[in-house]
Amino acid sequence: MGQWIIAYTPLVDLFLLHLGFAYAQYIVLRAGVFSLATAGLAGIGAYTAGVLAVKLGAHPALGVAAATLAGSGAALVLSLPLARLRGVYQAIATVAFVQIVYSVNLWAEPVTGGAMGLNNIPRTAGTGVLAVAALGTLYLVWAMERTRLGRAFNAIRQDEAMAATLGVDIVRHQALAFALSGAIAGLFGALEAYHAYALDPGQFAFPFLIAILSYVILGGRNSVAGPLIGTAILIILPELARPLAENRMLIYGVMLILVINFLPRGIADSLILAWRARRLARPEPAAGEP
Amino acid sequence: MLRLRNVSRHIGGIRAVDDVSLDIPPGRITGLIGPNGAGKTTIVNLITGMMPLTAGSIHLGGTDITRAPAHRICRAGLARTFQNMRLMADETVIDNVMIGFHRHDRCALPAALLNLPSARRMTATLRRRAAAMIAEFGMERFAGFPAGGLSYGHQRRVEIMRALASDPAFLLLDEPIAGMNDVEADALAAIFRRLAAEGRGILLIEHDMRFVASLCDHVHVLDGGRLIAGGRPAEVLRDPAVIAAYLGG
Ligand SMILES: Nc1ncnc2c1ncn2[C@@H]1O[C@H](COP(=O)(O)OP(=O)(O)OP(=O)(O)O)[C@@H](O)[C@H]1O
Ligand SMILES: [Mg+2]
Repeated sequence: MGQWIIAYTPLVDLFLLHLGFAYAQYIVLRAGVFSLATAGLAGIGAYTAGVLAVKLGAHPALGVAAATLAGSGAALVLSLPLARLRGVYQAIATVAFVQIVYSVNLWAEPVTGGAMGLNNIPRTAGTGVLAVAALGTLYLVWAMERTRLGRAFNAIRQDEAMAATLGVDIVRHQALAFALSGAIAGLFGALEAYHAYALDPGQFAFPFLIAILSYVILGGRNSVAGPLIGTAILIILPELARPLAENRMLIYGVMLILVINFLPRGIADSLILAWRARRLARPEPAAGEP
Repeated sequence: MLRLRNVSRHIGGIRAVDDVSLDIPPGRITGLIGPNGAGKTTIVNLITGMMPLTAGSIHLGGTDITRAPAHRICRAGLARTFQNMRLMADETVIDNVMIGFHRHDRCALPAALLNLPSARRMTATLRRRAAAMIAEFGMERFAGFPAGGLSYGHQRRVEIMRALASDPAFLLLDEPIAGMNDVEADALAAIFRRLAAEGRGILLIEHDMRFVASLCDHVHVLDGGRLIAGGRPAEVLRDPAVIAAYLGG
């Protein structure tokens, strides 16, 4: 038992961290924003925490708070130009944002360590801390879904014009979804920094964007269980065999293409819909009923 | 009073709506008829802020809503239904109606984020009100069913319930009985009369003249984006210009 725990701790930690990133991505998609900025926002959080720890020796709690604020602040600013864009244009703009964060991290070498990365970050976030953060995030996403926010996000995602005529302020709701997404991405970025001893800018670049997107697309974009299932599968799968682990990004890419083609709603949403369709075969109108 | 003054909307080279002035008084059902492509739906899109005006102004009571965004216009007390129904197809009837209550769906942001008791009470209240409305429309049996699987007539009723949920002072109905049989249409007519009796102003767009004549004491006729006639239904329907418009003259 003890050995099992030691052997699998790194995997569990990786899962918990990436679960946070997956929910950061999930929140914006659910609100109808086609943003891929999560990787960049996580990078901002990670570097905020890392720089505070290494250069200023700040307390980890301060680092985490600053990273969360930096993530949500950056997301709020980003939401302003994005509010004028839709669909694929939002995707392109946010991919550019991820690239900008990457470039700035490379360029600001005196602060960020540039291509060499940031080293000797004190390791203060263990499995326990990661689990608390992941559970907290899970609760937030689950709870929000059941309130006016979840209802409004739902309507916006499905038909923006319809939502607006029902009184939903689209810009405000999407900015809120963005700020929350940025806060969660920033928080887990900080946890990544405090967990891994070192950061390098490539960690938060395009491959990371694909990984996060894969979790949500595979699992499902419209139910809380989606990112949980997607992240679990894609974190565990490469560990089953060495060749799989060596080609992690290849697997994610192929998986993404297959799922988009054959299971566009993702695993959780498809299961939920199938289950509901079975339970609710269309009712026969009673005789005389229009 | 909902007041349109010299409202125009040009789309490309087409004058979809051209210099239309009309009043929609509270407590009455006002008819808007006209052949296909006359511009009826475009007028509703203009009033509800889904499309900008090319010229003209729209006032709701004392408020200028000409350039207000759609969500503000809803909050000012205006609701509509869609001719080409826009329901959330995978969601249940009750969830579709509940989103209509958005205007009254209030609780503090932290409570909403964490689903604190005040947020839960709000959800429960709205669910009860939605269920009551669904019962009133005779659709209890369908409350838990995905809206996309319902018959046309039932989907239209969900559209109307969702619009009514915001408790609008003015209700714009774009062909609310299309696809319904006479029994269903009569049931809706009774509901529309009651809504008008409560003091709400209703704009009714319909192709079924018998239905319009039975509900409206004033009807406007639109053709090619312009108002060509207006008055009591019986008079308007005898007007040679109106008959010519319908015959494609
Ligand atoms: N978004 C749009 N783009 C281009 N043309 C449009 C658009 N919306 C409406 N039109 C045009 O404006 C005119 C009026 O259309 P509208 O839908 O308002 O007519 P309608 O009276 O509602 O017709 P129907 O009885 O068929 O519903 C038509 O010529 C139509 O082709
Ligand atoms: Mg129309």
